[in-house]
Amino acid sequence: MTAEPGSIRARDLGFRYSGASRPALSGVLFDVEPGQTLLIVGPSGSGKSTLALAIAGLVPRDFDGAFTGSLEVEGVETRTWDPAALSARVGIVFQDPESQLVMEHVEDDIAFGLENRGWHRGRMLARVPEVLRDIGLEGFERRRTARLSGGEQQRVALGGVLAALPAILVLDEPTANLDPQGTIDFFARLAAIKAERETTIVLVEHKVDLAWPMADIVLALDREGRPIDLGRPEEVLVRSGVRMRREGIWLPERGAPMPVAGPPVTPGPPLIEAHGVRFGYDPQEPILRDIELVASRAERIALVGPNGSGKSTLGRLLVGLLRPDHGTILLGADEPSNLPAAELARRAGYVFQDPETQFLANTVEEEVMLGLRPDERATAGELTERLGLPLGQFGARSPYLLSGGEARRLSLACVLVRWPQVLVLDEPTFGQDRLGHEALVEIIRERLDTGICLFTATHDRRFIEQVAERIIELGSGWIVDDRPIRRAA
Amino acid sequence: MISTDRSQSTRASGWRTRDIVITAVIGVAFGVVFWAWNNVWLAAVAAFPAVPWVADLLYGVWFMPAIVAMLIVRKPGAAFFAELVAAGLSMLMGTVWAADVLLSGALQGLGAELVFLAFGYRLFSFPVLAAAALAASVPAFIHDWIIWYPGVDPVVQLVRFVMMAVSAVVIAGGGSMLLERRLRETGVLQGFPD
Amino acid sequence: MITAPEMSEAQLESALGRTSPVVKLAVAILWLIALAFTLEPLPPVAVAVLAIGAGLWLGEIPPMHLIRALAPLWIAALGVGLFNTLFSPANLDSTATEVLTIGPFRITEQALMSGVSIGLRVLAIASVGAVFALTTEPTKLVDSLVQQARVPERFAYGTLAAYQAIPRFAEDLATLRQARRIRGLRGGWHPRLLVSLLVLAIRHGDRKALAMDARAFGSVPRSAYRVIVWGPLDVWVGVAGLFVAWAVIVIGR
Ligand SMILES: Nc1ncnc2c1ncn2[C@@H]1O[C@H](COP(=O)(O)OP(=O)(O)OP(=O)(O)O)[C@@H](O)[C@H]1O
Ligand SMILES: Nc1ncnc2c1ncn2[C@@H]1O[C@H](COP(=O)(O)OP(=O)(O)OP(=O)(O)O)[C@@H](O)[C@H]1O
Ligand SMILES: [Mg+2]
Ligand SMILES: [Mg+2]
Repeated sequence: MTAEPGSIRARDLGFRYSGASRPALSGVLFDVEPGQTLLIVGPSGSGKSTLALAIAGLVPRDFDGAFTGSLEVEGVETRTWDPAALSARVGIVFQDPESQLVMEHVEDDIAFGLENRGWHRGRMLARVPEVLRDIGLEGFERRRTARLSGGEQQRVALGGVLAALPAILVLDEPTANLDPQGTIDFFARLAAIKAERETTIVLVEHKVDLAWPMADIVLALDREGRPIDLGRPEEVLVRSGVRMRREGIWLPERGAPMPVAGPPVTPGPPLIEAHGVRFGYDPQEPILRDIELVASRAERIALVGPNGSGKSTLGRLLVGLLRPDHGTILLGADEPSNLPAAELARRAGYVFQDPETQFLANTVEEEVMLGLRPDERATAGELTERLGLPLGQFGARSPYLLSGGEARRLSLACVLVRWPQVLVLDEPTFGQDRLGHEALVEIIRERLDTGICLFTATHDRRFIEQVAERIIELGSGWIVDDRPIRRAA
Repeated sequence: MISTDRSQSTRASGWRTRDIVITAVIGVAFGVVFWAWNNVWLAAVAAFPAVPWVADLLYGVWFMPAIVAMLIVRKPGAAFFAELVAAGLSMLMGTVWAADVLLSGALQGLGAELVFLAFGYRLFSFPVLAAAALAASVPAFIHDWIIWYPGVDPVVQLVRFVMMAVSAVVIAGGGSMLLERRLRETGVLQGFPD
Repeated sequence: MITAPEMSEAQLESALGRTSPVVKLAVAILWLIALAFTLEPLPPVAVAVLAIGAGLWLGEIPPMHLIRALAPLWIAALGVGLFNTLFSPANLDSTATEVLTIGPFRITEQALMSGVSIGLRVLAIASVGAVFALTTEPTKLVDSLVQQARVPERFAYGTLAAYQAIPRFAEDLATLRQARRIRGLRGGWHPRLLVSLLVLAIRHGDRKALAMDARAFGSVPRSAYRVIVWGPLDVWVGVAGLFVAWAVIVIGR
């Protein structure tokens, strides 16, 4: 089955969320011909997600705010489209795979969008297996969506959208939570869709090496949500490369990564030790087994491994947020899970993978200041500024109404305002623009120079190159490799 | 400048998808609370066998989903819908009251709903909330008399009712209002009427 | 975990597993109402035995799951029974036969009889409920409510989406407590935890609602991928249910 790809046309498009001090988007103008791929780039908070939602008709339908200018899909204003008809033509895939799945079983979830459009049952029965084959999940019909890996869930989300043969496919950082293999598979799937010119594609993605080669047109936005440039990728790079770099947009460029700062470490006494550690959320089904590791002062360790291999779980164990079922973990001379909270917070910091689940306050400022000593409070202003969240502008905002990248940086700020000896960061760089990424790397390096021990669970090769000296690789619950990173001198 | 108003996103019934899902989420969350509250209630009964009406002071929690959901989404039927979802969920998770919790839930939800209807779904001040909570407690009281306490002395029944009414006003009326305020302060209720 | 144990293939494919959830629900409510009309001890005992038997043989519920579901019930049955016994007006009737006195309470034979049978009523109603919950898949319940009982579909599927928040409650709560701990805040229960938990549930609901709208939810009348059809089993269960309700009322007189 094939669909007819659709066109998109924006003229002086703008949107301001109700209660926001400035528009998230303004003066946006572009045309996308049927079958083309539009790549939207811009720094964090530049309105990329807002624009993606607008093309899918969800802004302003599901978000209150002031919409200005015009946005046409297939020649018809999105706001005058009947929502049913529009969502039948445009499909959208978001960043977080899990929250897009509605039904309990894979097959039912693929069919969900078809049922909503009133497809005849016979057509659905023919279409669902076809989609499962396209996304490479044959045999997964009756599997529970909640039990799939992140990569598999994101493929189901894509399948649920592709099933209805959308004229336009909108993707908002669809691979942000996926491991490298999952990301490559996802883009391969996307390339196949593009090759067949079945649908027009709108892509928001920070992973330049995969995204730029796919684009027919690039739209670059600045911090304020205004367009910087529009055109063919190579033209845009030549014309506005400098400006885009300054705004902090990732650009496809060959070049050496930033070298690691500071002299090679001379390991001190052990700071964290794990011996014979076994852990399972259900003790009958261990998630981690036989974990042995010793890390000293000034060590920089990257935890890597596919989705679901246990990186986040290990991180939480190391700082005593979980208690091993078996074996011992030592932070200094104590078991971290037995330390009183105040003492633990002094010795260790942990940034959770999902930014939102760790927020505890009503405003950005309260959130950063939570539980701080007066001397730490004084540095909070400078730190948030460096992370692109100046308290003057963001302090009074709700932590829950930030863009994806802003929320990630807030969660980092909450931990980096303290000076613990051990820092565990779970996927700190996902969804970040270049400025955010570089600010983070710089801050971490300053900490490393003071001799802290860093663990970071990450899928980000560049970040590993920049901060780590040792890689611990997990594979379904075991440490399968523990090696130093060798760099060309 | 075209300002968007809510009418664009509403259908004939006036319920956006977001209204439906959030009402149901509140119902589901309270369904879990019910499940836990059952045990608290049983413990209270076991602890004070001679003064069983002590347990009735806990009764207000059972009316909360109706009031909280209505305060947030402010759509006709929200109280009834949320209460029914909470009841249905606690039945699926397993409670001793089983299918009866559906019946109670429906009756309580309807009771609260009628008060909101009487005020045209426009007024949500504390007296209205308290009245809605009381209106939920009346059918609950009658239902319990028939199904669970048919053998109990009318005077004791009256004491029970007074306890339930106090609990309804304090927990379901005051508690719900407080909870909704706290939620609103976090910003996540942006887009719902205040 | 908070949720009921996951149902096995055998449970789902059992006779009760295949019966329309709407029929099972109707029977459960019918029995409840029938039991409300009687103060005899026999009918509730019969209903409880019947329900548990049906759950084990027709529903293939693992006995351990059933026992676990029914465990807290004894306290409830005892509590409700005791309440009705202690505060029965019959206790004030000086002509009635006294069975025993507990402290200030004088308990008559009549009061004890009614207390016992109301306690048994709790037992019966709870057993029926447990069997219903342990043989009914939520998705199928919703499909059946929409297709067979004409429950408005947007509300039904909206609820199903919200239902999936449950496994997250426990996870979110754990994460929130960990987030407090790592920032040096005191442990234990803090009222803010409950607010935060609800906030996360609402955020999750918002994202689900958005994803549903993006997939044309509620735009036109839905069609059904999984069709629930009436079958002979539904007739058998329905007729048997009616008969039992009738028998309860007749015997209970
Ligand atoms: N619900 C909301 N209410 C108020 N402001 C919002 C809301 N959602 C986003 N914003 C703000 O609007 C701006 C644009 O947000 P958007 O999510 O579109 O950015 P983005 O380009 O996708 O960023 P990122 O790369 O970090 O995901 C940001 O400044 C953000 O803080
Ligand atoms: N709170 C929880 N309760 C139960 N199981 C969990 C919980 N958190 C994670 N798991 C399971 O534990 C396993 C390891 O999860 P973990 O999050 O540690 O993996 P990960 O390596 O961090 O994956 P990712 O790359 O996707 O972040 C997975 O199978 C996951 O489903
Ligand atoms: Mg975004
Ligand atoms: Mg992880």
